[in-house]
Amino acid sequence: MRNGYALSDRAVGLLFIAPFAVTALFFMVYPIVEAIRMAFYSYNPLRPDLTTFVGFSNFAYIFNDPLFWDSFWQATVWTFLSIVFQTVFGVGMALLLHQALPGIAIFRGLLLFPYIVPTVVIALIWRWIFNPEIGVVNHALLGAGVISQPIYWLSTPSMAMASTIMLNVWKYTPFVVICVLARLQSVPLELYDAAKVDGAGPIRRFLDVTLPQLKEVLIVVIVFRTIWTFNKFEEIYLLTKGGPGTSTFNLAVYSFEQSIANLRLGVGAATGVVMMVMLSLGSIIYLRVSGFGEDEKAP
Amino acid sequence: MTSRDSKPFPALPVDRRTFLTGATAAGAAASGAFPFGSRSAEAQSSKSGTVRVWGEPGPYGGVAVAAMNEWAQKNAPGLKFDIESIPWDGVYVKLMTDLAARRPPSLISVESPIAMQLMAEGLLLPLDDLVDKIGRNRLVDGVKWEYWGAWKGKQYVVPAHHQPHLLLVRMDVAKELGLGDPDTWDWKDLLNAARTISQKKPDMAGFCMALGRNLCTDYHFAALLHSAGGRMFDAANKFEVVFDSPQTVEALTFVKELQPYMPKGAVEYSFLQVVDAHVTGRTAMSFYWGRTLGRAAEEAKPVFEATEAFNHARHPTTKRRSNWNDFQGWCIPAQNNPYIDEVKQALVYQQTSKAWLIKYCHSLMPNVAPTYKDVADAPELKEHAFYKSKPRTVDTYFKTSLAHSSSTANELLQGVNPLAGIVHGRSVLAQTVQKVVIDNMKPQDAAKWGAKELSDIRRENARLLG
Repeated sequence: MRNGYALSDRAVGLLFIAPFAVTALFFMVYPIVEAIRMAFYSYNPLRPDLTTFVGFSNFAYIFNDPLFWDSFWQATVWTFLSIVFQTVFGVGMALLLHQALPGIAIFRGLLLFPYIVPTVVIALIWRWIFNPEIGVVNHALLGAGVISQPIYWLSTPSMAMASTIMLNVWKYTPFVVICVLARLQSVPLELYDAAKVDGAGPIRRFLDVTLPQLKEVLIVVIVFRTIWTFNKFEEIYLLTKGGPGTSTFNLAVYSFEQSIANLRLGVGAATGVVMMVMLSLGSIIYLRVSGFGEDEKAP
Repeated sequence: MTSRDSKPFPALPVDRRTFLTGATAAGAAASGAFPFGSRSAEAQSSKSGTVRVWGEPGPYGGVAVAAMNEWAQKNAPGLKFDIESIPWDGVYVKLMTDLAARRPPSLISVESPIAMQLMAEGLLLPLDDLVDKIGRNRLVDGVKWEYWGAWKGKQYVVPAHHQPHLLLVRMDVAKELGLGDPDTWDWKDLLNAARTISQKKPDMAGFCMALGRNLCTDYHFAALLHSAGGRMFDAANKFEVVFDSPQTVEALTFVKELQPYMPKGAVEYSFLQVVDAHVTGRTAMSFYWGRTLGRAAEEAKPVFEATEAFNHARHPTTKRRSNWNDFQGWCIPAQNNPYIDEVKQALVYQQTSKAWLIKYCHSLMPNVAPTYKDVADAPELKEHAFYKSKPRTVDTYFKTSLAHSSSTANELLQGVNPLAGIVHGRSVLAQTVQKVVIDNMKPQDAAKWGAKELSDIRRENARLLG
């Protein structure tokens, strides 16, 4: 029965989407617009009365700053290696957890632990784990005879980068596992049966059945993980503060340093804008090249 | 409650937490000692709320706030002073973000370089009216009010303490290896001692200082730079950058020479790690403030008993023994501060109570040194186990170090430098050191790099120089 307060389907849809739209406006669109605006100003937060429009000077500054380019390349290395290891380990662990074994649900639950614990807690724990003198990693390796001298995990540029990548892989591989596992559980078993009938072994079945079925979800996971990892600030800052030297700076840490330590908020904002453009372009190109969504477009 | 909390203070029959939180009752006696100013003239305040006070980590901030709460109980019953400890490495970021967000505390105890920056930015309240109430002639010999923070004829900061970093030496090791009296050493002797210890004592570094990209490295290196006669800026010449100098190269070269005898992890060390290295016996010598002795007394008695502090090894040519002395003081943010009158009165109350100021110094011996003669000369100050067991070391921290005081905020005591806070915010000195010890850059090139960074800071902040 209809009454005077009935809304059309379109109006109901708009009503339901309104909370998200309003929230996004305040917490996503406004900060982005404000960051873009600030990128064209010289702004010292202690002296807002001295704010001046500087055009593209902030962009010129960062493009001429060798540390910006160092940070960019380090961010690329950190992101690429993190994503490769997360994807490989994530798919491998998802395949293991896909087995119907007694108590497997417990392992699936435990797997989420690194993803659930706050990053600040994990980073501080890992600082102790990596401590060269009293850390458990060196203790175990020395005890097992794998090494004869302590490894200074966070004290040399290459080891510090490796350590931050290890932390990132450890924390976010569960995200890949969950996504891949969910997809694996919806792959029709008939496909595997048919492949077995055709004589395909485990490797062939993985390459020709499992992997194609995982393609779409892996594309999405890799895009998201790439964006999130490239933008990551807290893990690096808490673990190494970008050091030793500036060897683990990424663009997020660079932006923070420019904004807070150097009080150049305009330069920090310009860095954020450049990161946004880089990631947008990278994501579009990647999605095009990977053929994401083409199945739906096919007649 | 942690075990550290429940450990008794050496000189007091109460545990640390009881001492800090129950200080109000204990402070009743303090109100009797009030030789300066007039408490009867204080106006009652009807304001209510929490007065936020920022201080560096350590019990002394809590003691100061306990004194202020004692004032509040009598004069502003609706107010409660509350200390917020800010870690050293986070102090710059925390200060800048909260000030930028227009949410400053009502009272700040902060290291002098940042105080000087805030002062020159016009963010602090002039406190000349407090100086006479506190006692203009009370300062210990060898210091001036301006060391804590004066700019263009106005006093913006009143003393909390002075806090020099010295050379800590495990005398059991020095005697065993026949290294001589550290008080007579020059840089060459220090280097030889570090080398000898490293070679003859397995599992022990000869020497430790901070080499990470942090404030501690800035301070440790600045002292070496000043000993060599070098500076970052020339205060007498419009703060021209003078960092690209033979003295800077010499100091950087000395750090590079010392590095093989430091813990390998020193390139990421900051304050805490240097203390850890000494207290856990992983180094026989270190640069540090008095906190190391406090930690050692609580956690490693043999290390405490064997460690003595000395003024730094002399530079071979200049004979300077500069320490980085934090003339740390109290300052009051001028904007968005609803409790200015109350904070001023509470601060005078705390500053004029000899008993509270002695408690302040006793709370972490010998880290925070007295700044007023009546406190420094008080027999009660010596009623502490540290003073009795290590009188020479405590006197070095409290008194004789003053002759060698320097700071990035007042280089070689030649003039207040409002740019130092920005230098530390950007870790310019630490980065310069890291160019040498991590990137293997030549000291000459690193000095040039540092000088360029300092020139950028000077150019960008010319407004602060007046």
